[in-house]
Amino acid sequence: MTEEHVDRLVRDADPYRPGVIGDLDGAKQALLEEIMSEPTLDRVAETPQPRTRGRHGLVRRFAGALTAAAALIGILAVSTVFREQPDDGPAAPADTAAAPGTAGAGTPVVYSPVALQAAERNPRLLIDEPGWKVTTVYGFAEKQGTIAFRNDGQQLDMNWYPADQYDGYHADRLHVSAPKAVKVDGWPGDLFRYSAKDFAVMLRPRDGVFVELRAGGGDRTEFDRILTHVVRVDVRTWLAALPPEIVTPARVDERATIVLADIPLPPNFDKAALRDLGTNDPYQFGARVTSRVGCAWIAEWQRAKRAGDDAALRRAADALRSSHRWQVLHQMNDEGDWPEVFWETADKVAAGDLPAGYDQALGCA
Amino acid sequence: MSSGTEHEDRFRRVYAADFEPLLAYALRRVAQPEDAADVVAETFLVAWRRRRDLPADAEVRLWLYGVARRVLANHHRGGIRRQRLGERLRQRITSAVGADPGSAVPERLAVRAALARLGELDREVLLLTVWEGLEPREAAEVLGVSPAAVRTRLSRARARLRDLVGDDLGSPGHVLDVLTAPAPKEGR
Repeated sequence: MTEEHVDRLVRDADPYRPGVIGDLDGAKQALLEEIMSEPTLDRVAETPQPRTRGRHGLVRRFAGALTAAAALIGILAVSTVFREQPDDGPAAPADTAAAPGTAGAGTPVVYSPVALQAAERNPRLLIDEPGWKVTTVYGFAEKQGTIAFRNDGQQLDMNWYPADQYDGYHADRLHVSAPKAVKVDGWPGDLFRYSAKDFAVMLRPRDGVFVELRAGGGDRTEFDRILTHVVRVDVRTWLAALPPEIVTPARVDERATIVLADIPLPPNFDKAALRDLGTNDPYQFGARVTSRVGCAWIAEWQRAKRAGDDAALRRAADALRSSHRWQVLHQMNDEGDWPEVFWETADKVAAGDLPAGYDQALGCA
Repeated sequence: MSSGTEHEDRFRRVYAADFEPLLAYALRRVAQPEDAADVVAETFLVAWRRRRDLPADAEVRLWLYGVARRVLANHHRGGIRRQRLGERLRQRITSAVGADPGSAVPERLAVRAALARLGELDREVLLLTVWEGLEPREAAEVLGVSPAAVRTRLSRARARLRDLVGDDLGSPGHVLDVLTAPAPKEGR
């Protein structure tokens, strides 16, 4: 049998036949629209951000310092108040559920003065309506943060940005549609229309930050209705309204201990510095912690290589290779692609090849 | 600097051009045809999220194959989640592919069984070459190995498959030749 014969046999065994699918009946276009309406949180320049949350998809964050931020198309954002019951039941309005200093399940929580001080600079928004569940939270360490809510087929995202980026974002949104003046909890903003079921509101800056809300899945009437339920709350109420799995500043130490339990720590790794990670859902927290560890091991690997320190080089390579056994990455693997990206980079470095762009892939500062 | 709109337009073009090849790639490699919808959806979602750094036009399909390969690996580990995206595509595939009589021809089953016995990388080199029609350089790009390694593995995969299929089918006879001969074009 010649090679041509073999190839012919293989070709004939091809299970795909052009035309077998026939008319996709619009499914191709439908999928395109679904994908392009996915929130893309990498649209703006922010602090390094491993990915968006969701059950799919990776977002590599192109670390900070994008001076062109103002020209970039922006993000979604919306603010809502919500509160999720521990039993996954319907959310209760925050105003009735979340007493200051009280966690969702009634567990007392003590916030560190430093965390509160940082957070109190930026009162938050919530959706004061049952049914909204938080699906994603990250940031909120400084002036930026993202929180996403879902209620059946509707999604509402809110993004906070430093006020000095307002003009750039606003100018960008003017390319989206003509602005329409609206108010959210008494505060003025502009509404922009992306499509018949996709709207955003950019609120005027206040206290050094501004918020952009974006919602998809409902028409303008529905969007207006949701906006009437958005309320401004103090940070204690906001933190108390977050579901218990969210890693708030008060929960960082405890959660970090769990995450780091089976992870070899790089020399001089500062675990206490993880307290500056803000407020994150478990996936985002895991990504940020493993980013710190991975970046530190890569830096150590580079140092050892420059210094000709073979033992240290081997230790760093072994540590990176061991990431395939880190439990947190396996727990995250069903939710997104951060673990795959991490392993891909770690494996390359462990094999002696520092891939270009590793710092962007892993969010190394 | 490229604007966001330019990136979106580029993504649309890539999607329009590469949807079918990606769907074919996925359909060829999943046990249940409708799972191809998840693979395609996840692959293009990754591309959408990374639209700012998609490779050049000539390389983008190879890059998508590479992404799809990782998505599939996850799928085969049982890790893929049913996408909420692409439900309509899933339904279309389910109704269209379910009754393909061509998929159960014994010779083809024997060849597929033999393919399943090849090493993963060897098999993928052979399939990318024959099913996707890639050159060794291109297959190398998808698989992240050197073109030389692709050639070596391709040769090995063909030899191994020849042995495996020879055991099952005997010497390929004229029937197979007839089945696969190009149809003569009248008037040319």
